[in-house]
Amino acid sequence: MSKKEKPIRRFLPELPPMTALPCIEFSGNREVVIEGSKGVLEYSPDCIRVNTCCMVISVSGRELNLRCISDTALIIDGFITAAEFSV
Amino acid sequence: MLLNLLRCLRGYVCFTVCGTYPERFINIALKNRLRLWNVVRGGDGLTACMYMRDYLRVRRYARASGVRLKISGRKGLPTLLRRYSDRVGLVIGAAAFVITVFVMSLFVWSIDITGLEDISESEMRALLAENGISVGAFKPAVDYQSAARSVMLSDSRVGWIAVNVTGSYASVEIKEQTPSPEVPDIDAPCNVKARRDGRIIRIDAEQGKTAVMEGSGIVKGQLIVSGVMEDQLGGVRLVHAAATVLAETGYRAQFRLSQRVTVYRPTGEVKRRLTADIFGIKLPLTVGGVSTVDMLSDDVEEVPAPLDVQLPAGLLTRRIYALEREEAALSRDEAKSILLREAQLYEAFTLSDCTVKKRSFRLAEDGGGYLLTADFTCEEDVAYQEEIGEEKEE
Repeated sequence: MSKKEKPIRRFLPELPPMTALPCIEFSGNREVVIEGSKGVLEYSPDCIRVNTCCMVISVSGRELNLRCISDTALIIDGFITAAEFSV
Repeated sequence: MLLNLLRCLRGYVCFTVCGTYPERFINIALKNRLRLWNVVRGGDGLTACMYMRDYLRVRRYARASGVRLKISGRKGLPTLLRRYSDRVGLVIGAAAFVITVFVMSLFVWSIDITGLEDISESEMRALLAENGISVGAFKPAVDYQSAARSVMLSDSRVGWIAVNVTGSYASVEIKEQTPSPEVPDIDAPCNVKARRDGRIIRIDAEQGKTAVMEGSGIVKGQLIVSGVMEDQLGGVRLVHAAATVLAETGYRAQFRLSQRVTVYRPTGEVKRRLTADIFGIKLPLTVGGVSTVDMLSDDVEEVPAPLDVQLPAGLLTRRIYALEREEAALSRDEAKSILLREAQLYEAFTLSDCTVKKRSFRLAEDGGGYLLTADFTCEEDVAYQEEIGEEKEE
């Protein structure tokens, strides 16, 4: 690492590597794809809480469904009204 | 779509998860690489779908997560096969149906021909069949482009042809060739001669020197208008003689009929014979015939053609009429009536280029029969052109 980069790096927060962060993709407010999930903490038609490596993603709305789910990704569809991140 | 097809082929189970914390079951199942889909929360649990093979090992995870599983439905091909495993005939029938549809789609079952004007449709169908395009032709074995080229080479009247095959339906589009008009050689020197014997009524000579007078008699091959012109100085000039020569001509025709004739009368007995035509194979539906040896039949073919597409199936109805043979002696009037009809046909077909001005008939008995002599007096153009120096030897 060069000497010029050192002062800048001091001001950046400590971030986990990009590959470890969950990847979230919204299609309007009708569908959300979450990659990097570690499990479903809560599942109801009004709220779905998904655990990831570094946060809990809470999707609120109406008629929410887990359309497709695998060990690392899931797709939620329904009428999404809010998304919340708890670190 | 593809995923659904895959799921159906592998077979899957829809089940209900009942318990206090079904999310735990989902997480454990996913950790163990079991695939879940259509996870829907409802009531006190949730419903989901899973591959049949995965469901066999999911029980212990359900126990571990403290939930109960209840199958709500088994779907897919394995379930269907298991359900109908006792009904082998049904499975064989379904397989036979699929194979039949597949095999049948490899053949041409309907041919539609458009654009014909002078060529008859049956003639064109025969020509196409000679080149491999016929009802029942095996599609992969037919090279449509080369067949179209062969048809064009076989029949010079076909100017352009395209063969389009959609499924089992072949559409043949044809444009007939427009023949180039015959251009007479108006410069070649020629004479105008008589085609028949007769008496000249009028000569309309466009060019040339008239050799005979109006009202005079002519014989076949006689010079009427000469193409050799002489000038005042005695010089000779050859021209392309052209003329319309209206002449009175005579035709004689004789028609003979025996006094005793064989007549076939219908007895009133009629039999109907039905034949199904399926994919070019004719299957008799009803059999039987009339009791007499002599018979007359007519055929009516009904081919369904929804949306103007002729189907490869039809019903052929043949009506057979029983005939009774009897020998009869013709009276003079009956014979005259029959012979006059023959004379009318002769006039209609043989003398179609002439204007018949007068006709006379004479009926005579001739050695056990009747002889009708018909004389026609006509007016017609008897001129024909013959090049000078190319006179025919007769």
